[in-house]
Amino acid sequence: MAAYKMSDDDMEYSDTDYDDYYGNDYEGDMDHMVPMKNDPEYFDVACLTDTEVERLLNESVEQLSNSIQVTPSLAKLLLHMYNWNQVEIVAGYRQDCHRILASAHVKPPQSTTAKDPGGENEGEIICPVCLGTIAPEAVGQLTCGHKFCKDCWSMNFEVQITQGISTGIECMANNCQVLAPEDFVVPLLKRPVFKEKYQQYAFSDYVRSHPQLRFCPGPNCNIVVQAKECRAKRVICTACKTQFCFKCGGSYHAPTDCETIKRWLTKCADDSETANYISAHTKDCPKCHLCIEKNGGCNHMQCWKCKYDFCWMCLGCWKTHGSEYYECSRYKENPNIAHESAHAQAREALKKYLHYYERWENHSKSLKLEEETLAKIRARTQNKVMAGTGTWIDWQYLLDAAALLARCRYTLQNTYPFAYYLESGPRKDLFEYQQAQLEAEIENLSWKIERAEMTDRGDLENQMDVVEKRRTTLLTDFLQV
Amino acid sequence: MAATRRLQKELADIRKSGIKSFRDIQVDESNILTWQGLIVPENPPYNKGAFRIEVNFPAEYPFKPPKINFKTKIYHPNVDEKGQVCLPIISAENWKPATKTDQVIEALINLVNEPEPEHPLRADLAEDYSKDRKKFMKNAEEFTKKNSEKRPAD
Repeated sequence: MAAYKMSDDDMEYSDTDYDDYYGNDYEGDMDHMVPMKNDPEYFDVACLTDTEVERLLNESVEQLSNSIQVTPSLAKLLLHMYNWNQVEIVAGYRQDCHRILASAHVKPPQSTTAKDPGGENEGEIICPVCLGTIAPEAVGQLTCGHKFCKDCWSMNFEVQITQGISTGIECMANNCQVLAPEDFVVPLLKRPVFKEKYQQYAFSDYVRSHPQLRFCPGPNCNIVVQAKECRAKRVICTACKTQFCFKCGGSYHAPTDCETIKRWLTKCADDSETANYISAHTKDCPKCHLCIEKNGGCNHMQCWKCKYDFCWMCLGCWKTHGSEYYECSRYKENPNIAHESAHAQAREALKKYLHYYERWENHSKSLKLEEETLAKIRARTQNKVMAGTGTWIDWQYLLDAAALLARCRYTLQNTYPFAYYLESGPRKDLFEYQQAQLEAEIENLSWKIERAEMTDRGDLENQMDVVEKRRTTLLTDFLQV
Repeated sequence: MAATRRLQKELADIRKSGIKSFRDIQVDESNILTWQGLIVPENPPYNKGAFRIEVNFPAEYPFKPPKINFKTKIYHPNVDEKGQVCLPIISAENWKPATKTDQVIEALINLVNEPEPEHPLRADLAEDYSKDRKKFMKNAEEFTKKNSEKRPAD
């Protein structure tokens, strides 16, 4: 952990904080879990079960079906293809109903409707798929008019459903993109297992195309989260407690935005191996600046190009080492990096990345370690209560403190990718100042929680307020989603 | 099997059509799911030879697409060294059960005659084809003369 000592200036800053605390109507209640409108992380969401989602979707379907007079099944397909934007569909439909139906692949483009070949020879229709004759009552066709026998339709649906396709099933004719709606597919499915699978896949497709809905990413969790607007805000699933970002569905990442955190995580996945390898295994020859990989245990290196003998540890000339090699502590950073080789500059870039990565990684580890602290708090509470030092309720504030610590450290962890991509300037200076403040206060809190006694309760709760205030200040200034 | 009736009919139709650029179709009596045939291209540099292909139909045919493999080595940007070919009409996403094998073969012959360097399986050949056509033609012609099958007399 990087230790940030509080300077006098910092103390002054905290004093102003306290002024704010007492001066404003800041709701300094211990109950930080209740979302508040002035909380930069406040986000209004509802956790729905699949029955509730079904009802929600059906309401939209019914509304659209009534307002433009199409079957509910077609209305559902239209909504799915237009990301449930009823207003757009209705307006488009009023303007040019053929265009909107065709562009949603509900109906064919007008010119390509199949000509009815069965006009003169009603009883003799050949199914283009199995090449058998079909009786008129066994013909199945979509709005495009391409005729196939119902057995072929069924077989096709089963093969498609096995591949996970449901709302995307098209007409079987060449180059025909007309989609098969639910009320055409389901009655033709013979086995219940396929009906079930179709409904399940279609349901997922509808939720995915709906901008207000997200599946909870928690393992085996069936909750669907609904939010009025699609923003990169925190959602906590009421069922499985998983936290995630509503917009990207990944782990919550404030104050960093979705694109940046994605870049950062990709970079970490791509670079950490290389970065670790290069920083651990290569250095430049101090004389000719060739990048050298250390592939053996001996620290006496010889550059293969200029034949310079040097020490791997201090990069000093090997000859000056003599017998005192193991006390070697003369490692110095090269001051004229600008004139260094490309390898050296690349390593400088990696050094910057590693600075942020190590802190990001370290907070991730601390979060895991502090989960263990929580278990210890529980055990300690038990001991205290047994020993007659207060009641169980007296010690509950420690659990609140641990939860707050986890939340704050999580935000702190996510400030590192943000800072890495932030361009240098006053904004970055301010950010890193606030980040350092948060870092220092979090370590204070962590220290106090681990050593908490009942007499310290006021002090600890004070510290909790300070930390949360720092976190909120940072998010208010920098969370822009 | 639904596949059998349709394949028998398709095979009979193709043989009857007397198509010049796809001939000598051999199908094992016991297994109609595997066809072999000779592609006879019109355009240089492939008009110096003929190429044997194998068409494999899955049991779920025509609800799943057939696969095509070159049995004769061919110097072509869209066919790899193993004889695999990338043909959009038979990709899983584009496949339609109503697509007939003669349409698939037609698409394949078009691809052989007119390589598509925009989505190659062999990037090195595609680059030569786009940037140094002379060199590509020379190599392809030599390769065809050396490796391809003899063209039917008529």
